[in-house]
Amino acid sequence: MEKVRKELLQGTLDLLILKALSTGQLHGWDISKRIAVVSKDRLSLKQGSLYPALHRLEGRGWVEAEWGVSEAGRSAKFYRLTTAGRSQLEEEISHWESFAQAMTSVLNMEAAS
Amino acid sequence: MTTTERFRWVRTKLRRLFRRGQQEAAMDAEMQFHFDQLVAEFRASGLSEAAAHRAALREFGTTDAYREEMRDTWRWPALADLWRDLRFAARSLLRTPGFALLAILTLGLGVGVNTAMFSVVNGVALKPLPYRDADQVDRIYRRTSAEPTGALSVPDYREFRAAASSIYSEIAGFSFGDVSLADEGQPAQFASGMRVSAEFFQLLGLPPVQGRAFQLDETQRGNDAVVILSNRLWQNNFGSRPDILGQQIRIDGRAHTVVGVMPATFNEWRHWGWVDLFRPLAFSTAAESAREQPTVGVIARRAPDIDAATANAFVSNFGERLARDYPELHAESAFYTRTLPDTVTGFDTKITLSMLLGLSGFVVLIACSNLANFLLARTMARSREHAVRAALGASRAQLLRPLLAESLLLALAGSALAVVCAIGASDWLRVRSTGDNGEQVIFALDWSVLGWALLCSLLTAIAFGLAPSLFTLRLDLNNALKSGGRGTTGSRRQNRLRHLLIVGQFALAMVLLTGSAVFVSALSDLNERREGWDSERLVTGTFLLPEARYDTPDAITAFQDRALERLRALPGVNQAAFSTHPPFFSWSETRRFIVDRQERPAPGREPAAVVNVTTPDYLATVQTPLLSGRDFALTDRADSTPVMLINADLAQVLFGNADPLGQRLAFVADGSPQWIEVVGVVGNVRNSEAEAASIPHQVYLPMAQRPAAYHEIAVRTASGNPDAMVPAIRSIFTELDPDLPIRDLKSADQRIARFNYQVGVLRDMLTAFATLGTALAAIGIFGVITRTMAQRRHEFGVRLALGAQVSDITRLVLGSGVRLALTGAIIGLVGGVGLSKLLAIGFPNMDLARPAVMAFTALGLIGIALLACYLPARRASRIDPVESLRAE
Repeated sequence: MEKVRKELLQGTLDLLILKALSTGQLHGWDISKRIAVVSKDRLSLKQGSLYPALHRLEGRGWVEAEWGVSEAGRSAKFYRLTTAGRSQLEEEISHWESFAQAMTSVLNMEAAS
Repeated sequence: MTTTERFRWVRTKLRRLFRRGQQEAAMDAEMQFHFDQLVAEFRASGLSEAAAHRAALREFGTTDAYREEMRDTWRWPALADLWRDLRFAARSLLRTPGFALLAILTLGLGVGVNTAMFSVVNGVALKPLPYRDADQVDRIYRRTSAEPTGALSVPDYREFRAAASSIYSEIAGFSFGDVSLADEGQPAQFASGMRVSAEFFQLLGLPPVQGRAFQLDETQRGNDAVVILSNRLWQNNFGSRPDILGQQIRIDGRAHTVVGVMPATFNEWRHWGWVDLFRPLAFSTAAESAREQPTVGVIARRAPDIDAATANAFVSNFGERLARDYPELHAESAFYTRTLPDTVTGFDTKITLSMLLGLSGFVVLIACSNLANFLLARTMARSREHAVRAALGASRAQLLRPLLAESLLLALAGSALAVVCAIGASDWLRVRSTGDNGEQVIFALDWSVLGWALLCSLLTAIAFGLAPSLFTLRLDLNNALKSGGRGTTGSRRQNRLRHLLIVGQFALAMVLLTGSAVFVSALSDLNERREGWDSERLVTGTFLLPEARYDTPDAITAFQDRALERLRALPGVNQAAFSTHPPFFSWSETRRFIVDRQERPAPGREPAAVVNVTTPDYLATVQTPLLSGRDFALTDRADSTPVMLINADLAQVLFGNADPLGQRLAFVADGSPQWIEVVGVVGNVRNSEAEAASIPHQVYLPMAQRPAAYHEIAVRTASGNPDAMVPAIRSIFTELDPDLPIRDLKSADQRIARFNYQVGVLRDMLTAFATLGTALAAIGIFGVITRTMAQRRHEFGVRLALGAQVSDITRLVLGSGVRLALTGAIIGLVGGVGLSKLLAIGFPNMDLARPAVMAFTALGLIGIALLACYLPARRASRIDPVESLRAE
């Protein structure tokens, strides 16, 4: 299984995490799996870098964490979105969409125009 | 973020700050879990244990880097930086301990002393009275030139009560009287008592905390043997016994039932003085009809819709009516009101307090300008370092942060010192102002005041620490760099600022010093002004013969004779006598009188004099000179011809050049005059009143002809140390009557000092302020000159190398400092003259024009400035030119 590694764009990691958490509470391993699965392995993150990002988000009050027991029976830290995190997610999504639209427009421009 | 979220955020931050270890462990566990899952996945895809591990490592990445990244997210970066800045600042301050010490000292003393000062003012003047709507309560005064106490007679009081019901919803009367407390098995004790009418406590809105107030029927003579204790007496004498109500205590030999205990808040020296116990205001039949005897103080609560001016107009009207009805008594009376808070903080108190506040403000100003100067000098010395750092790309914030940290550190240390100073100063004031009976003028340190003061000191340090820095940071980078290692003395503008600060400091210090010196010298003059008597070698004290056991004039006279005989026989005693009014202290009893064979003046316009009742030998004991005639003798008894002595002023006014001896006077009273023969003329005695500029007319009556319970003791000792005689004198009284309380038995000088303790506190505070201000100004000029000198070391080295004399250098350094000090001092002198003129308005009885004192203190301050400049100048002259040049 050869993975296509693509460097994530600056700042998209937070967006990915927030989005992954928008479906419910997850622990770190689940988050990375969820992103890999949904993106069909096209988006891959350096898994260690997930944790500083999670702590940063927790520090900003966008996610909150709680220790619980994983399906495998081990204790794991579960993260979930806060209200602030939810509105942050919406904001980042709309940012991203407008950015993507802009990029698309530029990439689609006619040579002659 | 919602509030809850914000709260959670702060909590998370704090937890991260303080529970680092726990956080790290949790993070490790979290990553380990993830890692184990990865390994398991690789194992499941068929890799060996070792290979799976390696793959997982590759996939996960190096944990160290992540851990570090995470730690960064935990930290409060600003806080961490601040901590680093503070440590840096501490190190840099420690490199210049002299500067740090001066700055901390300046701040600590300035703020500390001010806190104590504000605590005093708050306790004395600003704290509201503990009564319900005190502004609605008036004190009713009746005053004449002869009767300054403001009290009403009982008939007038009754009439006022009847007339004023439309203006005042509640009216209450009170009077003061000392009593003796003597219970079985307890030494007899003096207590200050107050008689109050049944409405009194209710009117003030401060009922007893235990028991009840007096009932109306208890204000009938014979029914009045009930007492309410002050909280202090309850604590001190009865150990706060919970079963005190219903107990009997003996007052003046009579059993009284305790019906209540007052709250501690009532016992406010500010208002009623220190009262130990309260009894019902019950009048004797004689007092009920004695319109000429003012004995009742009156307070009244205005009806809700009546303002102070209306009430005052009403009272003044009432007085005019009385004057029409009883012209012989009230022709010269003035009736008026003051609101209760106004009676507490009168004009005198207000002006004194505002003066003290103003002066302490001066001290703070000097302290702040000192601090500003120190910090400015320091910043300037570093301008090169700053220039280099700025050139290397340091931002303004980065340049300012260490300065801010230094200011903060100085402020914190200064605040700590300020707390110590404030506690020390208020302790000192408390001890200084505690009276004999434990009464205190100044209350404990006010912690809320201290809190504010500390906040102010913090702001001061930051403002004065940063302002000069901002100012110097504007300096031209190129210039600073060009000046090279030679050290900068700062631009002309900065120097001007520093010089301005020094001049300002000296001006303030001069105002402080001269103003205080003038006031203190005038105060001590007022205090020392004794005329017509001598306090040296005199022991004084007070006792009260309990009515129950000394119920006849004969019993009183017999006790006096026995006591005086024993006292005179005591080795080391020259003379002994009793009187009703000791010299120096105010005389309270004023009587009007008429002269035999002279035309009677209009009623109410008769001459008045204060009355002192004495035993024979009193004049010799206190050394009031007998100018003509004779002193009282043992033969002047109740059954012999009534006699009196008058003072020289009165003799002059009444009889001019005629011989006063043999003339007869009588006190104004209803009925036929009781003539009293003048048998002697004595010297004028000046007492302590503020109006002491005018000596009152004085008459003396023999005690044997007017026996009363109240006695002032006067004993003149042979030795120079009257205090040593006190135990022997006390034991004589104890032997004569073990149940007799003696109060204030001590040397007259001590008693006077005690009597004047408020004046003493004022004097000490002024002295302290002046000393502190001067010291701060001296420290300021010393610090600035020293620093300037250090910066000009190189220049001096060059000058010396080029052949300048050592004396030239000294003169150069000295000259610049002295010029500043002199300029400040001259400005300050003008201010000092202004201040003393201002004080003269507030204290019209004090002689405040004292050019000699002013000149002397001015010279003193200039001398101190010289000294403060001389020390660094001398150091400058010791510079080794070679060494200072090589140091480059």
